[in-house]
Amino acid sequence: MEVVIQRDSFPQLLEKLNRYNIWLPRKNGDYWEFKLSRGKESLDKKYTNTKLSPKKFVLPQTETLFQITEGENGKFNIDEKQKKDSLDIVFGIRPCDGVALSHLDKVFLNSFKDPYYSKKRDNTVFIGLACETPPFENCSCTTMGESPFSTKGLDILLKDIGDRYIVEYITDKGKKLFSGFPNLFGKITTKDKESLEKIKKESNKKIKKRVEDLSETTKKLDIMFDSDLWFHESQSCINCGICTYLCPSCHCFDINDEQLSKKPLNVKRVRTWDNCQFPIFTMHSSGHNPRPDKQSRYRRRIYHKFSYFYKTEGEHLCTGCGRCSNYCPAGINIFETLQKVAEYE
Amino acid sequence: MVHIEDIKKEAKRLLKEKKIKYLIGYKRGTNGLTALPTFIKEPEDTDELIWEASCIQNLSRYLVEEKKEQLKNKAENTLPVGIIAKACDTRSIAVLLQEKFLERKDIYIIGVSCEYGGVIDQKKIKKKFRGKKPEKVIFDKTNNLLIGTKFGNIKVPAEEILAERCIECKSTFPLLCDDVFGENVKRKISEHFNSIKEIEELPAESRWEFWHGHLEKCIRCFACRSVCPMCFCTECVVDPIELAVTNESTAREKAEKVKWIERSTTATDNIIFQLVRTLHLAGRCIDCGECERVCPVDIPIRLLNKKMEKTALEKFGYESGFDINMPSLISNFKDEDPQDFIR
Repeated sequence: MEVVIQRDSFPQLLEKLNRYNIWLPRKNGDYWEFKLSRGKESLDKKYTNTKLSPKKFVLPQTETLFQITEGENGKFNIDEKQKKDSLDIVFGIRPCDGVALSHLDKVFLNSFKDPYYSKKRDNTVFIGLACETPPFENCSCTTMGESPFSTKGLDILLKDIGDRYIVEYITDKGKKLFSGFPNLFGKITTKDKESLEKIKKESNKKIKKRVEDLSETTKKLDIMFDSDLWFHESQSCINCGICTYLCPSCHCFDINDEQLSKKPLNVKRVRTWDNCQFPIFTMHSSGHNPRPDKQSRYRRRIYHKFSYFYKTEGEHLCTGCGRCSNYCPAGINIFETLQKVAEYE
Repeated sequence: MVHIEDIKKEAKRLLKEKKIKYLIGYKRGTNGLTALPTFIKEPEDTDELIWEASCIQNLSRYLVEEKKEQLKNKAENTLPVGIIAKACDTRSIAVLLQEKFLERKDIYIIGVSCEYGGVIDQKKIKKKFRGKKPEKVIFDKTNNLLIGTKFGNIKVPAEEILAERCIECKSTFPLLCDDVFGENVKRKISEHFNSIKEIEELPAESRWEFWHGHLEKCIRCFACRSVCPMCFCTECVVDPIELAVTNESTAREKAEKVKWIERSTTATDNIIFQLVRTLHLAGRCIDCGECERVCPVDIPIRLLNKKMEKTALEKFGYESGFDINMPSLISNFKDEDPQDFIR
């Protein structure tokens, strides 16, 4: 279902929602990040996409699962740390990042329902903002079979058509959120639909399609595990964690117990992001490391995204957002690697 | 004036005559202006080499990796590795030689002078040329840079787009070179420690606030450490592998290994990590600025290292990266060294 809201009415909408935690993209120095709203605000026209992906709302980098404290008489108190009942509303999720949320759902909600993830997912409304112009040179959502107007993973999608937004409700959660203020929303006209179609077409055209048929590329991976390509593609890699930590779909984590004090005992169990590009990621306690060099680690990242996940979930674990390639210190570009894989014989 | 054709010719000769194993240089970038590192084995591939102000990276990091691979595989290096190095890059090689991590015979340095220029700051370029898609950047003979865009060349005063470290550069002429291209010119755009002036003058509380605010953002991607040629420890305190665990370690030893920082990304532990790094780089950092360039959350790491550099100079008259025969700052003691802090 689609309705329309005037751009000028947007601050009013925020005001009406002010009993929730509202997150908006805001510039922090040279990059964009989600910040709590200060009240009557608009969505900045210059907004591109946040540097750190919105996965932090459902999978924070550091998350305390529970904490054990020793009380008097040696009794232990276990605090489950899951008190999040307030609603978070995040505005400005780009469609690629919405798709990434649908990937995370597959991992954390399908065969095993992760209670920590699921609670946060239920208590967050993700409001997308379609890309009327793709923000980056490396934008490649169409290569991944998506588009700058994809709705996957989102609750609502806003489509900027100049002086107004077309509001598309995707989930009931989204629809319910705005249902209390019908005065702010109008009916969508044929003219609105026409201008939207035009913008959609233009935007799609601007995005480079890197590989014609990615499923064919995936088949290639089956025969090129031992190829030299991995050595050459990863030769300039410096073994940092930017690509994975910035990736909206990467979700590997580690769980550790962290002791705050020994006596009385105070310890918390913490889940943190982990990173397959670090040598320590696969280090065995025997001292053996099955992925001892960067070529095996880089290959792993590509295979996880374009082979293993595709085989089990039917989707590529990449949304084409371009962060890994935009911010790689050594300029490694995942889409160029994919092109090389596609051309491999 | 540096001519890339001369560099290509020399590179081709070295590879043809099998004087070097391979060459680490720069090629045209595919995402924006910044050049990319390239590793050339075949003489005919030298055509892809470029030399311009977009050759930002300090490639000596890859010499460190080569050395580590060698140590791991216990392989004997038969031929030196060729490297194209700017003045600052040669200074980092100098420190690596001084500390005996690298051996002179294992490297072949093709030094290139930055002359009146330096390298660009990606962020400054991004701001100044938004939407113009700059494709290349050429040194002028004067203090200007020419930015090639699809709308033609645009002339910009160097200091407006040069990296801060280049503006504060001590010498744009490389040292220790086997080959050298470009001239040794005297140029000074700014004071060497201009960039830390502002923060030095702040009261302690404001400085604390400044660093706390910045380091709170750290996501521990460790790109600053990974890109740094001086961070060559096999074991880093933040993610020790073999320090804690070896084939012989008992279960108890594994369980009781010292954790210097926890995995939780708290500001406190982020600060510990960055301070450990800063102190480990005191008297070693040559200000190539790579740590700050790669930081995804824009932490001004260079300021910390610059402060160390200034302290080393003021207190001990020590400058890193200029003399490979001198003992390093930390391993040396002189009677006149200040010692009023020892009480």
